[in-house]
Order: sequence, then C-alpha cells, then structure tokens
Amino acid sequence: MTIKALLHDMKPRRSSTQVASSSSSSSSASSASSADEGLSRSCWANMPLELLREILSHVEASESAWPSRRTVVACAGVCRGWRSITKEIVRLPEASGCLTFPISVKQPGPRECMQQCFIKRDRSNQTYRLYLSLSNALVDDGKFLLIARRCKRPTCTDYVISLNGDDVSKSSCTYVGKLRSNFLGTKFTVFDGQAPHAGAKMTRSRSMRLVSLKQVSPRVPLGNYPVARISYELNVLGSRGPRRMHCVMDSIPASSIEPGGSAPTQMELPLSGPDLFPSLPFFRTKSTITENHFSGPIMSQEDGSLVLKNKSPRWHEHLQCWCLNFHGRVTKASVKNFQLVASPENGPAGPQHEKIILQFGKVDKDVFTMDYRYPISAFQAFAICLSSFDTKIACE
Amino acid sequence: MSSKKKVITLRSSDGEIFEVEEAVALEWLTIKPLVESGCTDAIPLPQVTGNILAKVIEYCKKHIGASESEDRKILYELESWDADFIKVDQGTLFDLIRAADYLTIKTLFEFTCQTVADTIKHKTIEEVRHIFRESNDFTPEEEKEIRGKSWWLQGL
Repeated sequence: MTIKALLHDMKPRRSSTQVASSSSSSSSASSASSADEGLSRSCWANMPLELLREILSHVEASESAWPSRRTVVACAGVCRGWRSITKEIVRLPEASGCLTFPISVKQPGPRECMQQCFIKRDRSNQTYRLYLSLSNALVDDGKFLLIARRCKRPTCTDYVISLNGDDVSKSSCTYVGKLRSNFLGTKFTVFDGQAPHAGAKMTRSRSMRLVSLKQVSPRVPLGNYPVARISYELNVLGSRGPRRMHCVMDSIPASSIEPGGSAPTQMELPLSGPDLFPSLPFFRTKSTITENHFSGPIMSQEDGSLVLKNKSPRWHEHLQCWCLNFHGRVTKASVKNFQLVASPENGPAGPQHEKIILQFGKVDKDVFTMDYRYPISAFQAFAICLSSFDTKIACE
Repeated sequence: MSSKKKVITLRSSDGEIFEVEEAVALEWLTIKPLVESGCTDAIPLPQVTGNILAKVIEYCKKHIGASESEDRKILYELESWDADFIKVDQGTLFDLIRAADYLTIKTLFEFTCQTVADTIKHKTIEEVRHIFRESNDFTPEEEKEIRGKSWWLQGL
C-alpha cells in the first residue's frame, strides 16, 4: 500500500455530510453590517455538519452568561440545521445552570447551585417582574424572565404569569400559568398553562369556558393544570413569629430529590395560533369543565408529591428576632422572607432535606431576591414567591 | 544532546515540499503513525494546499513547547502572536479549520473554531445567515414561532 493510499484511508472524508445549503443570499442578508461584507465568502456554505457542531459548541461554551448568551439564541434561529444542532448542544438548566431559551423558565433549575434572580414590584399597576441576575450584585440590569399581573376577582385573586411584559393576558400565547388565591388569602394554587411532562391530570378551569364562549379568540391558552398548592399557617406564636408555608408540588415526585431522581421537564412551549391546533378538545367536550379550582389533589396518592416547607428560623437572643441565614442575599427584615426545603414526609430526613430549594427575601422597598434550584422551575418558584406577597397571614 | 533533530518532509496538494521537525509532526495525530514508523519519504497531504500548510507549520512551530509554558510573559506573548496570526480572511480561516481537522491538530482546531465562534458573537440572525450563506429554510409556522419569541431578547 502506498503512503498516499494509506493517508486516504486514515481519515475518511466527509463530503457526504455537507450541509445541503444553497449559497443564494436571502433578501434579509443586506441588513448585515458592512464590516462583514469583505470577510464573507461562500466557503462556509459547504461546511460539514461536524465542523458546524464544533463551532456552535464553542459559541455555547463561551457565551455562558447573559446578555452575550443571546448569540446562542440567534444561532438557533439561522436555519433548520443550525436550530437542531444548537438545541442538541444546549443542555438543560438543571445540568448547565444556564437559562437559554424561553422554555428554560419552565424547566427544573440547576442541581449544583442556586439560580439567582430578583423580583421588582410595581405598585402602580400591580405587576411583578422576575429577572435573572447577571452578576453577584443583589440587583443589576437583569435578564427579564417573567411578569405577573395581579387581578382581583370577587372571590379570589389571580396572578396571571406571562413570558412577555407587553402582553399579560390569559388569552396570549405567552401565557405561562397563574397563581390563584382563595378569598382569605391563606391557600393558593399554581396552574400551568401546559401539561407537565408527567403526573398531573387535566382540570379544566373557568377560563376555558370563557374561551369556549368566545370561540373566535385567535390565541387560546392550552389549559390550566394545577401543579402546586401552597398554604399558610399561623405558628404557635401567632402573628408575631415567622409564618409557616406548606407547598405540595403536585407535578414533582418526592423521589426527584433522591440520588438519581428526576423531575418532569417540559421540552417545548406550546405553539400559538388556532391553525396549529385545529381540533382543540375543549371546544367540544364542555362537560369536562370543572368549575372548582380547589377540587383536591390531582395525583392520586399525595405522598408521592414533593412537599416543601419552611426552613426553621432560629431565635436570635441578641437581636430579639427570628433569623434565617440568607448568606447576604437578603438585607431587609420582612415577614415575606422565607427559605423552603424538602419535607421528609414519610421517612427519615437526609442531606437532601437540608438543601434550600427556594429562598425569597426583601432587599429594597419594592425589590426582592429569589433564588431557586432543582427540582423546581423559575415559573414555579416565582408563583410560590407571589403567594408570599398576597397572603394575609401574619401581615402586620 | 548532540544528535541532530530529525526532519520530516511533507508534500502539499499543489506539490510544495516542506520540512518540519519530528516533534512538530508528532503533534499531528493523522500522520503520527507514519512519523513513528520512521518514514523517510515525503508524506503527501492531498487535502492541504501549500500556502495553508505553511500557515499550519508556522502555528505549530510557534506553539510547540510554548503552550505548556507556565511563564506568564511567554503565554501573553503567545496570545498576542495568535491574535496576529489569525487576522486572515474568512476563506483562509475556513481552510485552516479544515486542515487542522484533517491533520488532527487539536490546538489549532480548537483555536480556529473559537475564532469563528467569536465572529458570531453579538450578531443578529440575519448577520449570521449572511456570513455563513445559510438561507432561511423554516416553514412560515416555524418562522412565526421564532419571530414571535423576539420578546425573549428584549432589552439586551
């Protein structure tokens, strides 16, 4: 065998895997900056997929923080080939600790650390905005994640949660879910607009009937699936001590925090537009509509669900108050401050019940930090924090 | 050590002959077995042109030994040398990536891929499409969905 033949054999060529891409420039290409004009050549048009994957991996790895992470989102919007490779490369937030696409806010948070966020309250229009922290500062410019608008109703209060600050309504395609309180403000239910990956079964809500009466609504929420229930209780010290929270995460199994456990993960946001859902089931099956939001647990056996409870504060003799260690993430004393850990419902407590899964606290008049981790998502964490704004228990 | 350094002869696709030290050639995993077998003929590299092979050799000669250095001054100099080295047009950059991939030169491959990744930084979808001559092949529904999520990047 000649050396030449040997070299050909050693490294099989990849010409068969060339990206099938026409080099015809699209009309939108003219918007590219002139600085690139001289550089660009059609050489990239025939780039093998493995090379593209390698380059996109480098983009993904080097743009790990917002705002430069927008580049990864841009890469996913170039064409189908780029989109599928980018989606393959970008890991879930629970593994990477990175929020990349809008769906990330509905996926379980990082396993290894807390995802640091903050909430800004706007009292003038009853809205709450959730931002991802971009630095170690308590508050910075932030990357906008979610918005909630408080809507007072005759018998309850709704916090409608949306992905888009410009369009907070239940009929929008950016509707994510809602938090609903009972009349007393002691019990809350979190509804997800989309079915969890596994677990919760469908309960049709009042809003569904509204939609089915309208029928012509161009954008239709896909449903309202109860995914968590939060209740507040007075503690033995009455209104003077910290209030007690009890969160049943109906869509998350208790086993998720055990070694090797996993939490349900939604992979795509619902597509919008009635044309994509020609046969919306609730247009026809009106009989399945349930009026009662508080119709009980949705998982048949409640003990299978993850339950979150307060980390117990310590009484500080010197300061004469109840104290929780927020490690510098909370600077103002407030009855709203809390830390939640997993409750060992039916078994001995282990190290997994020590880890703080959600912490929330005041840092300024209308600014609060919110740090969360696996197995709950930013959306679920936000909804639980909103309940702390609303509850009437121990609000002095 | 008085023994003369062993030299490997390489032939580019356009017939140019290059001589490199064995230590440099051993970093190229594709030809490593040939070099180790004591091959004395000119090794043909049918996928790499002379001008690109010259660049590849220039890079590897500069980097051999220096990359592992812990001297911060040397590393700093190497970094600025790299920055000058990679000031090439997109066609050359593409050929360098292909050559580094073909010859399996890890350092050069990583460096050139990172350079392309940096080119994409802060670019809009249209700009990236233009650079890579990718055309928009999304269906109107997919396009609508992607466009509809533009709020995700608002204010950034």
